[in-house]
Amino acid sequence: MQQPHVAVSGATPPQDPPDSSGATTEAPPKQVALAMDRLARAARLIADIRLGADHLLEALFLATNTPHHSNKTIELIRKEEASMRQHFQDLRALGKQLEDSGVLNGSLKSRGNSWGLHMPLVCPDGAVVAYAWKRQLAGQAGASAVDRTRLALKAFTDQKRRFFPHLEDEPFGHSHDGEFGVAKKQRTSQGLVTSHIEELNEVKTLSDILTDLENKVPNMKIFTYQRLDWLKRASLLSSSANENPVDPSKEQSMHNPNKLRSGSVNAVAVDKVAVIELLVPSVFRAVVSLHSAGSINPDAVAFFSPDEGGNYVHSRGLSVHYIFRRVTEHADKALQYFLSVDANTSLSLLLHWIYSYQTLFTKVCSKCGHLLMMDKSLALLLPPVRRPYRQTCTTNFNQSQLTPSAKVQNVDLNSAYHIGCSDEV
Amino acid sequence: MPNQGVTLTTQILTEACQCVESQLGGAKDGRWKTALTYYRPALREASASGDLPRELLGVALHDQLGSYYFLLRAHRLILQADSSMQALMDKLQSYKPRVVLNFEGFQYRLGDFQVRVGKCVPSSEVLRGIMMEVEYLPLSSIEKSRQILEDFFDIWQDTVKKRSLPGHFILVEPNFADYGLQDHYTPQHTAVQYATCMTQLMAAVRN
Repeated sequence: MQQPHVAVSGATPPQDPPDSSGATTEAPPKQVALAMDRLARAARLIADIRLGADHLLEALFLATNTPHHSNKTIELIRKEEASMRQHFQDLRALGKQLEDSGVLNGSLKSRGNSWGLHMPLVCPDGAVVAYAWKRQLAGQAGASAVDRTRLALKAFTDQKRRFFPHLEDEPFGHSHDGEFGVAKKQRTSQGLVTSHIEELNEVKTLSDILTDLENKVPNMKIFTYQRLDWLKRASLLSSSANENPVDPSKEQSMHNPNKLRSGSVNAVAVDKVAVIELLVPSVFRAVVSLHSAGSINPDAVAFFSPDEGGNYVHSRGLSVHYIFRRVTEHADKALQYFLSVDANTSLSLLLHWIYSYQTLFTKVCSKCGHLLMMDKSLALLLPPVRRPYRQTCTTNFNQSQLTPSAKVQNVDLNSAYHIGCSDEV
Repeated sequence: MPNQGVTLTTQILTEACQCVESQLGGAKDGRWKTALTYYRPALREASASGDLPRELLGVALHDQLGSYYFLLRAHRLILQADSSMQALMDKLQSYKPRVVLNFEGFQYRLGDFQVRVGKCVPSSEVLRGIMMEVEYLPLSSIEKSRQILEDFFDIWQDTVKKRSLPGHFILVEPNFADYGLQDHYTPQHTAVQYATCMTQLMAAVRN
């Protein structure tokens, strides 16, 4: 029997608590710890018994080989028998204790999730703890480094806020789990120094990008959320998906009073924006997440049907519909491409590129001229799900020649291709 | 729609199913059954039929087991009721079922499309027609999905043509606005579609 690695009571010498009969009056965690302790001792006793059996066999073997030492062997056997008997008695007593505490029989199971705990708990890094309450998880030896760091940071910022209220909170600090925004800050300031944007010589802020976009996209709605707010919204989507929405924009304004309204950008809220939702009513819903809240660094994008809702609707989730899965797949590549070319314009380009999908169900393929076509390799009927994202090579070399007012829009956003009709892999 | 003088056989239905399965790669998903009932008012006196609608349609959809839909085609009215309404109708005996048409068959999944192919069989058990219901799952706006569904129908026509079936499929396009229905697709739309399909079938059979 393998010894469970008990973080709590591994080193303590085995000693029976004086009130073993009144075990039910103790707190559940103590009961669990005791039970585990007793199981460990039972394992040791069983090992001792095994050893004792070996000794007996050895003694018998000696007896057969050296008959003239019979007295000695008899002594040995008697001694061994006594210790074995003791072990068995101890084991029986232990078993009785375990039985009384309800560990060995089914009484625990019948009580359901007894003592109100799941036990024993196996932590993400493999250690076994006798008990855990979620909030105290980090206090246990078995908590993972991430959990401990997260809680240490929280404790630190709480204390800082309490004792140094005059110091401002870090904008990237705590709205994103476990992330430290310092590195990102560095990068953006680097970007400030070395940017080569053709149209403007400054890095746009998130609110600039969003207001810019709103002016250009008449039938796409843009909403921004803090990270946790988005998850709440996504769950709400599933519950309202079964009803008959009269007006999607009305419905959204009912559920999310925090959304940024066009024109009036709330400076504090922008710092916490981590999720951007782009909705073209009745066509698609795209979710873009930003790497640190308030930055212009997109890190994931996913497309969904406007009727989809639920916990899986987020920037790294996948739609249940094949068409949107394919679009998401293509969008991943586009995002990586935009990031590789120029990280500062990547968000702006991505959002504009996403907008080109409003014609997903109406625009025919630029190569074959059809809307719906059977994709042979996937065995699916799909409309053109690919929109080109690569910029043409010539424009990259023309940076110095372009006037400051020239448009950056050198991506061909007017064509669409089926998967089989497009040139890329 | 069968060609003139041709009797519909189950063979044609099988062929159609095969088209869906092999040519389009559909995966069989189960059976389905929708029942359409023609009700006529049960009148004590023939003279009292003045302003009562002569014909009431009842539709029990395969995927809406808790609801029953009533249509008055002449008045373009549709009503959604609880499925226990049928039992109520039986007890009241104010409207009696004259003809019951059963639409039943197999349903298939083709990627984002759900296709139901089935036969239309009245209580007399003579095959009256073959119908197909196509649903595009990602969208629920009729306007936005119109082109996609029309394209699907074209592809279907091409597929079926190769089999040279003695007949051809006709696209049923009811006017939902007449019934006061919106762009967002609902089971009521389906009920209207079945009723319209029915009318077309009856008209074709009479000719």
